[in-house]
Order: sequence, then C-alpha cells, then structure tokens
Amino acid sequence: MTRQAVIKRLRTFATLALMLAAGCATNVTVKGDFPPPLSRPLPLHGGLVLDDKFQSHVYQDEQNRKLTFAIGAAQTAMLRSLGGGLFTRTSELGSLDKASGQDLILVPSVEEIQVAMPFETQLKVFEVWLKYNIAVYDGKGEPVADWIMTAYGKTPSRFLSSDEEALNQAAIVALRDAGARLLLEFPRVPEVQAWLQASRTVGAAP
Amino acid sequence: MKHALIAAALALLLAACTTTTVNEHREVATNLKLGSAEKIVVLGRRHAGHYETEPDFIRCIGDKLNGVPNVEVLDEKAFIDSVYPWFEPRTAPLKLARLEYLLREPLLASRIQQLGVRYMIWVDGNTETTESSGSVSCAVAPGAGGCFGFATWDKVSNYEAVIWDVDDFSDKGRVRVDAEGSSYLLAIGAPIPFIARVQGEACEGIGNQLRTFFTPDGAAQAPTP
Repeated sequence: MTRQAVIKRLRTFATLALMLAAGCATNVTVKGDFPPPLSRPLPLHGGLVLDDKFQSHVYQDEQNRKLTFAIGAAQTAMLRSLGGGLFTRTSELGSLDKASGQDLILVPSVEEIQVAMPFETQLKVFEVWLKYNIAVYDGKGEPVADWIMTAYGKTPSRFLSSDEEALNQAAIVALRDAGARLLLEFPRVPEVQAWLQASRTVGAAP
Repeated sequence: MKHALIAAALALLLAACTTTTVNEHREVATNLKLGSAEKIVVLGRRHAGHYETEPDFIRCIGDKLNGVPNVEVLDEKAFIDSVYPWFEPRTAPLKLARLEYLLREPLLASRIQQLGVRYMIWVDGNTETTESSGSVSCAVAPGAGGCFGFATWDKVSNYEAVIWDVDDFSDKGRVRVDAEGSSYLLAIGAPIPFIARVQGEACEGIGNQLRTFFTPDGAAQAPTP
C-alpha cells in the first residue's frame, strides 16, 4: 500500500469517526423572536452593557451528554427587545467604563445554566434553567445592586420532532420568563427600590 | 386463515375506540352573549411542573368555537405576545381575583379592551400515555424488508375548561372531559396501526360542549365533525 493510500484511508476513518461522534452530540443554537413588552418604563436613562462574553455565551456539557448550547445571541436579542419597556431611554454599551449620562446601568452575566432532558428526569419535558447576575450601577459607576435572577422554561417532549428543537423551545420559554421577571421585578429589588426612592428625593429637593 | 386475520383486524379496529365523558357546570342559565367587537381567547395552562396543556389542543378548541355564528376566537400565541409579560407561565392569573388585580394596570386593561377580549377560556390538562406493552421489530435486507410483532398502548386525556367573563370578573361555567383509549400496532410484514384518537375525541367533547355556551338561545346546536 502506498503512503498516499494510507493517508487517504486514515482521512476516511477520521471523517467517519467525527461523523459518528457528531451523531451522538446535541448542538443547539437558541433562536427565537421576542415580542415588544407591554410595560411602564422607569422614567430614567438606562444603560445596558452587553459584552462579547454575554453575546456569545455557550454552555457546554462535555461529561455526560456532549451538549453544546449556544444561548448568547438569543439572550442578547431578548434584552434588546426589553429596552423600551425597562427605561424611557436605553443605550447599549460595550463596557461599564463607556457609560456617559445614564442614570442606571445594568450589566448582566450568566451565572449558571442547567439543562435537563426526559431520559435524565423521567419526566416527559425538556427543561432549561437560567441563572443571571444583573449587576446594577449608578451613573458614576458605583454599585447599586447585584440581583441574582433565575428563569425557567420547559417544553413537553412530544410536541417537537427533535431534541434540539425541544431544547430551543424550552430555552425561548426560559428567556421570556427572564424578560418577564426583569420587567416586573427589577423595580422591586430592595436595593434598586432604595436607589429609586433616594433619586426621587434628590430630584424633588429644591 | 385469511378470515381469521380479517376477524382479528376487525376486533382490533373496534377495540381501538375511545371512551369520552363530558361534564358541564353552568353558572348562568342563559347562553353567553358577545357584542359585535367582542372576542374569545382560549388559553392553555402552562404553570405545572410536569406537563403543560398542548397548544394544538387549544387550537383545536378555538377552531370548534370559531364555527359558532358571531363568535370570533383570538389566536393564543398572538394574544400572549401582545400582552407580554403578563400572561407568561409565571405571571398568568390563576384566579379571577388575580385577573381583576392585573387589570388595574391601565396599560394591560387598555390592551385587553383594544383586542376586544370579553371571555377567557382557560384549559388545564393534558393527554398522556399511561401504559404500553409489546414490541415490533423491523429488518431490512437487500431486496426485502419487513416488520413483525405487536404493540399496544393506552392514552388518557383529562382536561377542564373554565370560562371567565372579563367584563365583571365572574366565572360563567366549566366543562370537564375525560377520554381514554387503546391503540394497537400489528406488524406481519407491513405494520398496520389501529390508533385511538384520544386527544381528538377529548377536543370534540370539550369543544362541542363549549359551543353550547355561546350558541344563540334557540339556535340549533349542531356539533362539528
């Protein structure tokens, strides 16, 4: 056998091995649309820091399930769609030090992602848990709050044709849940509430 | 032999039937009226941990109600999107008192009014496979292939629909449907399925009963096929 023939066989073998490995893996790139919110925005100029790490976040579970779950683009789209529902004016920033003139700045980061599939839980649902840390700063860059916010989404296994599609759907439900919590609960976070109260007092002072 | 197979197939076909029980409770004696611009929205409950009411079941009920004269049903997803984030699994009202509280928010109240929603029909429940047994094996060889075996599974549907009047925050009635049926798959060469339409029968049962709430008094209440 010539050297070229050996290389050709090895290449074929490697390609087949890769195809076999890919066949066992679950790769999900979360995609979906988010509706414009129906909420009363805070009368503030808000900043939203969506850094590269957040925008391209990928959750990987290499140990048991060979699961790759790319949620960065979808969570960025969700937060962008909320902008007008959170503050009367919202600016997107690349980093906290680029802030200028905003009253409150939100820096979201992913703390943890958990994904559960029916074969693991014996339930006939795919589940996605998201845990975010929403760090809140005032216009001077002083920390106001670190709000740990969790969200949950599920989808029954038999609705959709593949594991990927079911996980995507569960992730979209979880992201909508995160959006709902942000819109409805953010002003009620005790530290944010105290800051809002203080800023109103300062604003009302003669 | 041929006759025995036909008899067995017929017996299975008959056995693959669905039993449906529908119960109704009305809060008002007269049928419910809708103004010219008023609509109904049928919504599925999604807050439970281990199941959620299937969107296709909700669509099926909506289609049944859309056939009633002067009744217009809003699409579930379009409604939920237009009132986001108020009707998500975490935030949707579970009781009438909560709906009343939510509608104190002028933005939401105005959107509901703009959409013309008069009645909300909440449907809670699901269809699940309760038991399955048997197996079917298939094999393919060059120039030939086939399946052999026998499998059976039982499905149960339990749903309850509650009608809320958004105008006066009252409960107008409820309909409960329980359906169950067994399906079979017989494979002698080619697989022959005998599928019981459990969820379909549940939809027909609950949908036709809900139609009677909105059918004008005195009008014929023809069930939809």
